[in-house]
Amino acid sequence: MSSNRMLSFFNRNTTWGKSFHDFNYRLFIFMTWVPAVIFFNGNVGELTRINGPSMYPYLNTSYNEDLKKDLCWVSKWNPTRNLERGMLVSFQSPNNPEKLAIKRVIALEGDVVYTRAPCPLPTVQVPINHVWVEGDNRDKSLDSNSYGPLPMSLIQGKLTYVLWPWKSSGPIHWRQFKGRTRVIAGRRQDAPNWD
Amino acid sequence: MPPLSRFLLPFKYAKERYAGHPLRLSIAALKTIFIFHVFWQYGYSIAPLAGPSMLPTFEVTGDSVIVSRYYRRGRGIKVGDMVSFDSVVEPGESVLKRVLGLQGDYVLRDTPGTTDSMIQVPEGHCWVVGDNLPWSRDSRHFGPMPVALIKGKAIAKVLPWSERRWIEDGLQSVDHT
Repeated sequence: MSSNRMLSFFNRNTTWGKSFHDFNYRLFIFMTWVPAVIFFNGNVGELTRINGPSMYPYLNTSYNEDLKKDLCWVSKWNPTRNLERGMLVSFQSPNNPEKLAIKRVIALEGDVVYTRAPCPLPTVQVPINHVWVEGDNRDKSLDSNSYGPLPMSLIQGKLTYVLWPWKSSGPIHWRQFKGRTRVIAGRRQDAPNWD
Repeated sequence: MPPLSRFLLPFKYAKERYAGHPLRLSIAALKTIFIFHVFWQYGYSIAPLAGPSMLPTFEVTGDSVIVSRYYRRGRGIKVGDMVSFDSVVEPGESVLKRVLGLQGDYVLRDTPGTTDSMIQVPEGHCWVVGDNLPWSRDSRHFGPMPVALIKGKAIAKVLPWSERRWIEDGLQSVDHT
């Protein structure tokens, strides 16, 4: 009967039907791992490609020579704890919420920063639970000089390792960073707040 | 096979697979937790509310809302929506306020009746204000808030159960009495 032949597609006792069922089962097992991966990428760590020139020359060192993009490891466990000046952080850009930005923390709560061109004020004191972020490439970076101090709750992760290219791979030594932006270190309790 | 026992097959299968296999069982439990986590983060979540800042709309304690995560990072947010976001002032704290202006809008900078100065909300930001003006710490204090902080939009009130309702368009439902 023709209907018999058609239904044999779903019959797991035939050879073809058996492999079809087997494939579905493997697909199901694969799918059950997807939420675990999503949790890992959101809360533990994620591989991220660096687009654009804003952290040149530290990241994307060969930006002017080829189209290769650096591959970095972003650690997302407790990203706002123990933030220090010089660390690289990732966050959704305040200007464009769908865009991931990677910048360097220049100043912490209570610090006084001497700002650059787009900023209307000559100095800014960073308010409580905010940080001042800037890109290393001073000419091609949309940073706190444009959008002001960054709320700490926006920060998603810290960059800890460069994985690719091979030449610059290794842990990120953020303590060795010497910036050109002048910062007067302050205390958290002196930062402007809204209580 | 008797028809009713077909419905017991999954249980039979689960018993065969998990009874006496502690590793299999714990991995399956973890996966289930991750599925619920993903639903909570990217689907819907229930948020209990506390505090006087939304007072005519929500009580100080005891109210809960369903937050739709579809609207995270301000996707599809309109003026008048109530959004849940990470606090600018205290990290880790989740706050519910009403959006009164989106990027490009001109909004009153202070409480109505004090000054008339207005500012334009910058690109990628929004202006959030609580319904209870004297008892709310909001954009009037910390300025325009990045839309990327928004975690979701309140779509329904579920607790107390007797007062359950869908949250309608915020621009009409506020009732000044």
